[in-house]
Amino acid sequence: MLPTVLSLLGRRLIAAIPILLLVSALLFCVLRVLPVDPAAMSLPPSATIAEIEAQRREMGLDRPLALQYLIWLQRALHGEFGRSIHYRRDAGALVAETLPATLELALTAMAIAGTLGLCGGLFLFRLRGTPFETLGDLSSMLLLSIPEFLWGLILLFLFGVVLPLLPFTGRLSPSFMRPNITGFLLLDTLLVWRPDMFWDALTHMALPAVALGLAFSPMIMRVLRSSLFDVYVEDFIAQARLRGISEMRILLAHALKNAALPTLTLAGVQFGFLFGGTLLVEIIYSYPGLGNLMVDAVRNADLPIIQTAGLAYCVAVLLINTAVDSLYLVLNPKLRER
Amino acid sequence: MALKLKRRSLLQMIAASATAAAGASARLGRALAADDAAAMGWPSDVPSWDPNQRFAPDAQPIFKALFDQPLDQDPQLKLVPHLIKNWNLAQDGLTMEVELRDDVLFHNGDKLTAEDFRYTFFERTKGAVKLDTANSWQKVQDIVIESPTRATMKFSAPHPTAPQWMAFLGSYVVPKAYLERVGVEAFRQKPIGTGPYRLAEYELNSRIVLERNDRYWGEKPRLARVTVQIIKDPSARVAAIQSGQVDCTVNVPVREVMRFAKEPGFAAELNPITRVILLQVRNDLAFADQNVRLAAHHAIDKDALSKAFYGGAAVSLSVVATPGTPGYLPDFQFKYDPELAKQYLAKSNYGPDKPVKIGFAATNGQFPSDYDIARALVQMWKKVGIDASLEVIEYAKYFELNRGARLPEATLYSWDNASGDPEIFAGYLLNPKMPFSAWKGMDVGDKLLPLFNLADYDKRMQGYRELNRFAVETGASIPLLQSVLTLVRKNNLAYTKYANGWVLPQSMHWS
Repeated sequence: MLPTVLSLLGRRLIAAIPILLLVSALLFCVLRVLPVDPAAMSLPPSATIAEIEAQRREMGLDRPLALQYLIWLQRALHGEFGRSIHYRRDAGALVAETLPATLELALTAMAIAGTLGLCGGLFLFRLRGTPFETLGDLSSMLLLSIPEFLWGLILLFLFGVVLPLLPFTGRLSPSFMRPNITGFLLLDTLLVWRPDMFWDALTHMALPAVALGLAFSPMIMRVLRSSLFDVYVEDFIAQARLRGISEMRILLAHALKNAALPTLTLAGVQFGFLFGGTLLVEIIYSYPGLGNLMVDAVRNADLPIIQTAGLAYCVAVLLINTAVDSLYLVLNPKLRER
Repeated sequence: MALKLKRRSLLQMIAASATAAAGASARLGRALAADDAAAMGWPSDVPSWDPNQRFAPDAQPIFKALFDQPLDQDPQLKLVPHLIKNWNLAQDGLTMEVELRDDVLFHNGDKLTAEDFRYTFFERTKGAVKLDTANSWQKVQDIVIESPTRATMKFSAPHPTAPQWMAFLGSYVVPKAYLERVGVEAFRQKPIGTGPYRLAEYELNSRIVLERNDRYWGEKPRLARVTVQIIKDPSARVAAIQSGQVDCTVNVPVREVMRFAKEPGFAAELNPITRVILLQVRNDLAFADQNVRLAAHHAIDKDALSKAFYGGAAVSLSVVATPGTPGYLPDFQFKYDPELAKQYLAKSNYGPDKPVKIGFAATNGQFPSDYDIARALVQMWKKVGIDASLEVIEYAKYFELNRGARLPEATLYSWDNASGDPEIFAGYLLNPKMPFSAWKGMDVGDKLLPLFNLADYDKRMQGYRELNRFAVETGASIPLLQSVLTLVRKNNLAYTKYANGWVLPQSMHWS
């Protein structure tokens, strides 16, 4: 199994190179043709037009676009992604500083979405043929139509304002000093063995993670139910029934295992969307992740950050999809044989 | 039995969760309810902890907690001594003598001297690290140190606004020895100033924890700890103050201020500040015609705009300066008169039946109610015979469009000037050599540019007042309103109100 997985990883790595080159070139070109002036944004208000023109030349904005891209690419290959216009810091370092928070949030949200999707899918399937089937169907459709930012606002209002049970700004209460080891706060609080701080961080993450999880679970729910429908017409289900196996056992031990594979593929794709969905949720919950940085960068026409963060999103999605595909190989013996 | 167990487990889980949540909530409450601590909900982060590096108006109150400026402004914006006890700008504006306090310590215990002053305003600005202050202090030729507390600034050209800039954006004294020892990157990680607070913790785009500097040379802050929560979304700031997660917040929607004003336990304010809302106009296209420009101005009912979008708190402006600042003309009124607007248009053969077409740009969300104001202006103009085509632009796009002469005839714009000095109002906004001015006519430029070198304060102020009037009477400037700062706080959290909108942590206390 391992050689198959390694072979897949190798193929994915090779395929990732042109994808990243293409994405970086697209990002670069789109950002450069936007009608914003990074030179003016990078200078103080008292700068004159002549000083702005000098700054444009210094930033290389007067050179041909292709040349600008090649220079950027050469530097990027050496780990230099440019200097943030707004923060005047290395864009790569800024993205690296904020990425763990977003990854932590996205992974937690994905766990919530997966759990809800799994439980919801099984529940919806169990409702088949009952008077509640249509109601379940409609409910899942309703959930599907609510985007993550709306969940964010609803949960904030309900559990932050009306019933002030959970905090909804930042990652930690003012009474705690944040340990900074890996950037993954939940992990860091455990590494310094502060269960109280771990709990506090968890309560801060609860609302944004649930908002994201709720938004992305209905699709998993519906695909799982649909896969279960397909699986239930297979012969092995009928044989299992003939062997006298209980319906619950057939569902959990036999059907679910087979229906999980398409659901897993979907979850991989969903993670890409979920990762992108953190952008608005991070703003609503003042969550200091990559999305928050990205919104600021757009506001300030901070092209190096937009470029680097865009690439970081691309890399994260490629990695997750590769991980899902590897998992798929592990779970599906038929694919390993091919 | 199984069902009973499950139910019991579920109930136990709910009870445990509720207890834990209540505990967390109570802990949060304790942290914020302490008499010597407070939390502020702030709309933006600092761009860098090097205070000389980037000019960011919203970050000034946070910088002022950590760092000190040579001069300060009182709540009415009058310049007052701070790190500098005395200053004397020469008649020709080419030198300025300063005398520093001798009892100021940086947070690491180092004593502030004239070396730090020279380093901040001369050595650093000429160095390799790009600083915004390099631009504001580019006229500094040298700073001669006469003693540890005395120095003389020498300028290459008259710098009449040097004292004002000593209390303005980015002009914070930084420690020379520490910066040279650790380098600028380490300084940004662990900044050290002389201010009333020191930085205890910082997480990018999340929170800033300030702890009182007990060795502060000036009046000690009453609050030992202030946490600044960076909350960029206005609705989230409203929710945060409503739920008690912060004790004070700013820049919330005007309608929320009205609502909070009626709620017990809160104080809600609409404070006029030194920020103007205006139309930046071009001197060509359809606006080449002065009649059209003046008609566009006379057609605007500014009081109605203020009432509709700022609860009537925004003061209508006739010049690009706010009341109480030296460039303001209290006796000059540019009246709202739609009939006069029609007469001006008629002179150029336009009218409601034959409207003049203009382009009009506005931001959406850059400042409160900007797009709504723009839509109201379109309707006001339509009534007199101006057909404006409204387009939404990003603030960042303004400079690029202006650089390429692609701005429309009028652009709705907002401008902040904490100093109140008219140079930083009309001097920048109408200066054809600066990137903000859409007006490129040298009729205004010829009157304005000499004022940059006029050292006599009274003559300079008189010059700007005349310029402000000239610009409005010729339609080169269409000021609209004095902007307001919206603020909501717990009503027992007191603070000092500044005319420029500063909400300083060191001025806060529980009453």
